Amino acid sequence: MRILLVEDDSLVSDAISRGLIGSGYVVDAVGDAESVTSRLADTHYDLAIVDLGLPGEDGLSLVRRLRRSGSSLPLLIVTARDGLDDRINALDLGADDYLVKPFALPELAARCRALIRRATAAAANEIVIGGLRIDLAGRRALNEKGEALELTRREWSILECLAHHSGRVVSKERLTQAITGWSEDISGNAIEVHVSRLRSKLGSSATVRGIRGLGYRLEDA
Amino acid sequence: MRFLDISRGAGSVTPNFKPSEQASRPTSVHRRLLSYLLAPLLLLLVAGVAVDHHVIVSPIHNAFDHSLSRSALAIVARIHPGAGGKLDVALPSHPPPPLRAMPDEHFFYRVSLPDGTTIAGSPELPVAPDSQSEDGFSYTNINFRAEDFRLASYRTSETGEPLVVTVAETPARRDRAVHRLDVAFLINDTLQMAAVLIIALVGIRIALRPLQRLSRQIAGRPAVALNQLPTEGVPTEVLPLVVSLNSLLGRVRDSVLSQQHFLANAAHQLRTPLTGLKAQLEVLTRETADTPLQERIKLLQGGVDRLAHTANQLLTLARAEPSAHRASHFTAVDLPRLIGEVIDSSLDRALAHGIDLGADSQPVQVTGVYWLLHEVLNNLIDNAIRHTPAGGNITIRCGVEHGRPFLEVDDSGVGIAPEERQKVRERFYRSAGSSADGCGLGLAIVDEVSRVHGAQLSILDGSSGRGARMRIDFPAVA
Repeated sequence: MRILLVEDDSLVSDAISRGLIGSGYVVDAVGDAESVTSRLADTHYDLAIVDLGLPGEDGLSLVRRLRRSGSSLPLLIVTARDGLDDRINALDLGADDYLVKPFALPELAARCRALIRRATAAAANEIVIGGLRIDLAGRRALNEKGEALELTRREWSILECLAHHSGRVVSKERLTQAITGWSEDISGNAIEVHVSRLRSKLGSSATVRGIRGLGYRLEDA
Repeated sequence: MRFLDISRGAGSVTPNFKPSEQASRPTSVHRRLLSYLLAPLLLLLVAGVAVDHHVIVSPIHNAFDHSLSRSALAIVARIHPGAGGKLDVALPSHPPPPLRAMPDEHFFYRVSLPDGTTIAGSPELPVAPDSQSEDGFSYTNINFRAEDFRLASYRTSETGEPLVVTVAETPARRDRAVHRLDVAFLINDTLQMAAVLIIALVGIRIALRPLQRLSRQIAGRPAVALNQLPTEGVPTEVLPLVVSLNSLLGRVRDSVLSQQHFLANAAHQLRTPLTGLKAQLEVLTRETADTPLQERIKLLQGGVDRLAHTANQLLTLARAEPSAHRASHFTAVDLPRLIGEVIDSSLDRALAHGIDLGADSQPVQVTGVYWLLHEVLNNLIDNAIRHTPAGGNITIRCGVEHGRPFLEVDDSGVGIAPEERQKVRERFYRSAGSSADGCGLGLAIVDEVSRVHGAQLSILDGSSGRGARMRIDFPAVA
């Protein structure tokens, strides 16, 4: 996995590069938005980390330029600005995620992982969480031993919805919407029953954590 | 430029009116005009009645004097030369109408010679001094038999020799007439004055309407609104006020904008090197695994983390001040969604501490600055996690109670002693037993942000009987 880092502060740039290299990525660091184009022209990247406060062309304008040129490269914005306006701007312009400085390296690594996973899932129709391999096209899930899990239609819908938002809490309402059609009505209790069955079928490959009053989260086992 | 000036309420746009007993009562234009009008109007009333009285008193007296003179003439008409050159005054026992006294009146007469010899009537009755008037009448006021009398003397030679006929009557009738007219004038003038006063007050009210409209306009604006007041339709007298208010608002807005700009720059300048330091230390930890340097790097990391946390909190606090917000920052915030998002980002920390973090949210929306409320809930959860031992639980609730939306964080931790509940809201206050990782700004931020939203922060006992319950009550939804 190759990451392009666009950050002008050498202290930050150096640390992020080392941190991500330590996590097994290949990292190319550039200090300004202008050199991004030439980099993208001759190298394939899986993700770009873009600082908003760049000298010359700033990060927002780079995001806009990349999206206008049709690039689907996953973009993670890092910035020292915490205003909601900036965040909305960046996301509206086509950035995929947003991280406010100062952040911890593991958090940055986790965001990178999630973004790359989402992009790969879209390309390969497959999501991998812990020992669980979810084949979106074949509508089946394989456990760590490679055995297909026998899931009902509703259990599959719940797993698919949770997998799409893995690492995030998914509300019960959202799960309800995921498993019911327009005409069907289903109670919160029914969701709990389906989730508990799904949980036992997942075994040790991944877990579904219940969050009191909110919903569920699919986690690495 | 004030960026880390964290004195409470400094730069606040909403003026802090503290009603103090010493302060004079607010003056009302209405009351002032009334008091300025009332005294002159009363003086005018008194003067008016006095003038009226003066104008009327002399014609009335003339009329009554005239009628008194008729009595004297009637007496003269009854004087006939008697036998032996003696004059005989033939007044019947029942005198004719001009000489008849009213029941409560007295009437006296005297017919005398110029030398003072009384021919008929009451000899003690004095004679009015001769005024040399053409008609021979002279008038005076006298006190006779302990009573006030109006006296008229008629000097005539109609019967042959010069005679003085003097008549006197009590002035009760003329006094009554004057008195009645005075009362009529008083009532009339008073009614006129009252009418003038009412018209003046109504006029004042109507004339002051633009001012009232202006004050309603200002009062109806959100505390953070800094846009200009409209100047059309404003009367020329009020226009200077509106213009100077607008220029003040403009200056405040400029300084708010430059402060925000400054804060954004400061944030960037502080956060970027902190990020570098943090990340470098993390990489260094990994690279120096199993060496004695680890321990010192851990210490450095703790310090940098604390520094980053404090810088963050200070920036949040500075940006939470009311002056930093334009009305456009206030949007409808869905509290259950906010809770979901904040829990999502805090869940891993709670789980790492062995704490059950959950929610109990009813659908409710408030008007607020989204990222500030996010920061508030984050701080409250952060506090709760730090003060709740493993195995405890934290519940975030939102809903509506008595028409007011609320947001609360309820933990089963160590709680806050009642005597500390006010102090913990102060900036940089840290309770004796608190761990080293807080900077003492968390609750100050929560308090400040609550105030920006017109909400109140209450610190209560945890609902499980242990721990603390931090509750924010928002203003009732209109």
